Amino acid sequence: MPRKKEPTLSNCIRDLRTKSAMTQQELADRVGVTRQTIVALEGGAYTPSLALALRIAKVFSKTTDDVFQLDE
Amino acid sequence: MNAMEKVAWTDLTVSVVAVAAATLLVPWLGSRATSAFALLALTAMLSVFFMRPRGNRIVIDERDQEIAKKATSVGVGTAWFTLSAAVATATVWASYSNTHEVSTVFLNWLIWVQFAICFGVKGLASVVMYRRQRHAS
Repeated sequence: MPRKKEPTLSNCIRDLRTKSAMTQQELADRVGVTRQTIVALEGGAYTPSLALALRIAKVFSKTTDDVFQLDE
Repeated sequence: MNAMEKVAWTDLTVSVVAVAAATLLVPWLGSRATSAFALLALTAMLSVFFMRPRGNRIVIDERDQEIAKKATSVGVGTAWFTLSAAVATATVWASYSNTHEVSTVFLNWLIWVQFAICFGVKGLASVVMYRRQRHAS
């Protein structure tokens, strides 16, 4: 039986962060994670929790839909 | 490399070193070579050192917790599976070879090797998960 492919989550955190002239460490400190997690998020290798996604969107004054997109 | 990745490498390295040291000490110490597994205590001590607070900076976050949870599950599962398989094999062997007994020296080794397997596999699983996330981009 074929397995349903898991949808992936893409984001524009890197673009928003560079536009805000913010370093990865600064963003990490503001949302309460390590810098390595920001690296993983920007590379699309980690799907954040809802709470973290909301915190990231809040830092950039955007909605989660503006920051994260579901690739089905 | 963040704190939990250092903990993962420590778990893996200390486990491998403990098994190697115990094996190498057998010709001199015999069954007392299992004392080399005391090295496993280093995993706990070094973990405390790596996870010490550093001002207001976050040391462990949700990604680290998620990886640690998965890796612990893999490590404990593997250790239980190998323990069950080893006990079953030893029991079957003892009953078919008409000795009808299992050596306590063997059981002592088995228990300590399971601890090493648990920490080693947990460390390896964590290292693999961290590396996958780093190279995904």
